[in-house]
Amino acid sequence: MTWENFRFALFEKAPEALFEHSLIVVVTVAIAILISVPLGIFLTRPKFKRFGLVTLNLLNVLQAIPGLAIIALALPILGLGIKPAVLALLFQSLLPIVRNTIAGIIGVSPDVKEAASGMGMSKGKILFEVEIPLAMPIILSGIRTATVYVVSMGTLASLIGAGGLGNLIMGGLSLFRPEYLIVGAGLGAIMAIFMDRMLSYIELRITPPSTWVE
Amino acid sequence: MTLEDFINFFTKNTGTIIEYTENHFTLVLSAVAISLEIWVPIGLLLTKNDKWAARVLALANTIFCIPSLSMFAILVAIPTFGLGRKSALFALVLYAMMPLIRNVYDGVKNVDRNVIEAARGMGMSSGRIMREILLPLGIPIIFAGFRITVVMTTGIAAIATYIGERNLGRFISEGLVRSNTPMMVTGALIISLIAIGLDTILGAIEKRIVPRGLRINR
Repeated sequence: MTWENFRFALFEKAPEALFEHSLIVVVTVAIAILISVPLGIFLTRPKFKRFGLVTLNLLNVLQAIPGLAIIALALPILGLGIKPAVLALLFQSLLPIVRNTIAGIIGVSPDVKEAASGMGMSKGKILFEVEIPLAMPIILSGIRTATVYVVSMGTLASLIGAGGLGNLIMGGLSLFRPEYLIVGAGLGAIMAIFMDRMLSYIELRITPPSTWVE
Repeated sequence: MTLEDFINFFTKNTGTIIEYTENHFTLVLSAVAISLEIWVPIGLLLTKNDKWAARVLALANTIFCIPSLSMFAILVAIPTFGLGRKSALFALVLYAMMPLIRNVYDGVKNVDRNVIEAARGMGMSSGRIMREILLPLGIPIIFAGFRITVVMTTGIAAIATYIGERNLGRFISEGLVRSNTPMMVTGALIISLIAIGLDTILGAIEKRIVPRGLRINR
């Protein structure tokens, strides 16, 4: 282990890898939120409730598929690059958000909804001003799970040419340079923990005081 | 890739497939066994002390966040672990910490206070309360943790191929390097089927394991 290698890994290689990694994470999570929050809300509407259980079961089964297997299956179907990686990661980040959106919205007390409709709120208004705000902490905790997951699986995405911190780790493993391993793996771990802490802080801040349990 | 390539690969490499599957299962089984031995008692101990429970759960959460490839890479860089099964087992056991401790803790803590009170009123010692009340009533949640651990360990064990494990992940890593699609897809499909199968079987057991007394309110 030499300082020279370490410096090279940290200052020459890491910034680009870190940027690519964050890009993959941000894009994937953004798309996942855009798909799964509306999907979750949709599945709690009385009209479509019966699809809810089927969708959840299906997503549950898909969730059991290991990340490495998904990455491997994405390559022959979608090819190499960032786009296939994002799609593969997206595939697995949907479930936590959909599940938590459904759980959050169903968990809103019927009394509150009753009160809202008693005050003359329309269905849409109840959804946007009562149900979603009250379900927000739970939805956000689903987003947090998904984000940590994407950061973690993002390191594997380098296998199908998406770059990111996985490149440093894979390079370190094949050249057997511990410096690369420590920089790549360390930054990956720090990034995941940082995201988790940041989102749980936001989660705490937006939880309405009236729903605090303790 | 045609279906023929796929079948060809499968028939030609049956021996290797069986060997890798065996290796995969021994790694997963030993990791799960060690995790149960370590984390279940710790989870039970933590139910006695809320302050330590919060600390340990926070630590477990933090460990759980670390990407699996990073975890393996960090362990490899530590001289005592190095490449091989020791690092793989250690990482898998660390990952199992969060689902096991969390669910054992939640399972035991969720038991109705009145039931414990009643047991104490009947003169049960705290050891007996743990064995005869808390564990049986908490078992559905504890088992859910066990299920998550098994399925997750199966998935992460595949990644351990990068630190020298010869298991099903090897098909994927080698298939990627040699751009041998049938190899890669075979590996991915076998791992996925095992994971989904385990999840389904354990899920079915989870539903049946609920003590009769708790079933009434369903």
